[in-house]
Amino acid sequence: MNWETLFGLAGNLALAGWLALICLPRRPWLIRLLRFGVVGVLSALYSSLVFVYFFRVSGGFGSLAAVKTLFASDPVLLAGWVHYLAFDLFVGVWLAARLDAQRLSRWLQAPILAATFVFGPLGLLLGFAPGALATSQAP
Amino acid sequence: MNECTMGAIALETAPVAEPSARTLESIAFQAAAIMLAFAVPTLAALLLDDRQIHGVSVWDKPLKFEVSLALHLLTLGLLSRTQSALVAGSRRMRAAYLVSAFAAFGETAYIVLQAARARDSHFNSTTAVEAFMYAMMGLGATALVVCAFIIGLGISRGAKAGIGAGIRDGAAWGLMLGAAGTLITAGVMSMGLLDGPGHWVGGVHSDAHGLPLVGWSTTGGDLRVGHFFATHMMQVLPLVGWWADRWMPQRARQLVRAAAAMMAAIVVLTFIQAVRGQPLFPV
Repeated sequence: MNWETLFGLAGNLALAGWLALICLPRRPWLIRLLRFGVVGVLSALYSSLVFVYFFRVSGGFGSLAAVKTLFASDPVLLAGWVHYLAFDLFVGVWLAARLDAQRLSRWLQAPILAATFVFGPLGLLLGFAPGALATSQAP
Repeated sequence: MNECTMGAIALETAPVAEPSARTLESIAFQAAAIMLAFAVPTLAALLLDDRQIHGVSVWDKPLKFEVSLALHLLTLGLLSRTQSALVAGSRRMRAAYLVSAFAAFGETAYIVLQAARARDSHFNSTTAVEAFMYAMMGLGATALVVCAFIIGLGISRGAKAGIGAGIRDGAAWGLMLGAAGTLITAGVMSMGLLDGPGHWVGGVHSDAHGLPLVGWSTTGGDLRVGHFFATHMMQVLPLVGWWADRWMPQRARQLVRAAAAMMAAIVVLTFIQAVRGQPLFPV
């Protein structure tokens, strides 16, 4: 297995998902496709990599040095990357639904979602903001 | 998230005729779906992983357990429809379904973990943790079998009015006989008294060159054969009963009894065959 190829495939899939989330009309089927389809495929890829490679390598989650050892393995590093892709997109879909409910303009949503795509938690933090000043209870 | 949760709530509160049976069914079906979710990366791992245990892929066993336990839970879910509202609503039945679902989840999770570590799950007492987990697996497997028996007993005592005698008897006898047969066949296997730990009796102690799909030994006795036929009485007898209700309802009860006797005979014969060290099909 060529890990670079798999890395490229997973990245393109996630990118396509983010472009659809940011640009396309939010039809229910599209949201379902992203939430379950794209995130599901990325999660299955992550799980398969972990099943096959995680326990072959030393290292662990106990210390920074252990984590570094863990990610010395290409397939485990790839699994870690796919973990980012899957969870970031899931958060993006959740954020988009929340921002839609708060009636935030899609033009303002776009940079927040783009930030979530590139820097995950930063985008999430920005995405929390519109709801913070809302008078009604946010979903 | 809210939109998603609301969707789920709306589905669950949709009007249904039998609220209790519906709950049991959803417990079983949801757990079956979790087993199948495990199977997705397991199948990918089977194709990707080059590590082996006993001459076959480390993912061979997890896949078998995921599929079998999904089938078991689907069976329990479907058979909840044969129970009267009184039985289906009882705490005992709810407990039997919950314990079945939880035990199946636990068994699968540990079998997957050990496969990922390329170590044995059953018959592995190498470390203290593994010995403890093997004992826990025995407990979980016993729980699955006892729950199946309890559910079968519940159906035999309180079947839903209006269902056919074939499906009623098939469900009740399938679950009870299947449970009893599994307890004996798998129990003997787990003790490892015949030929050391493992499912082999004589022959080559390896799973390489086993029968296609099931992987049973072709060189010696394999205690998994009797276990297989005993456990799958839980599917065969309800199916025979359902079929009989449809096509020859007058003879439904006799047909179920005949099928039960035949299955029991197959279990006994394949079990004796394995104990004597003979393969099901010598190659």
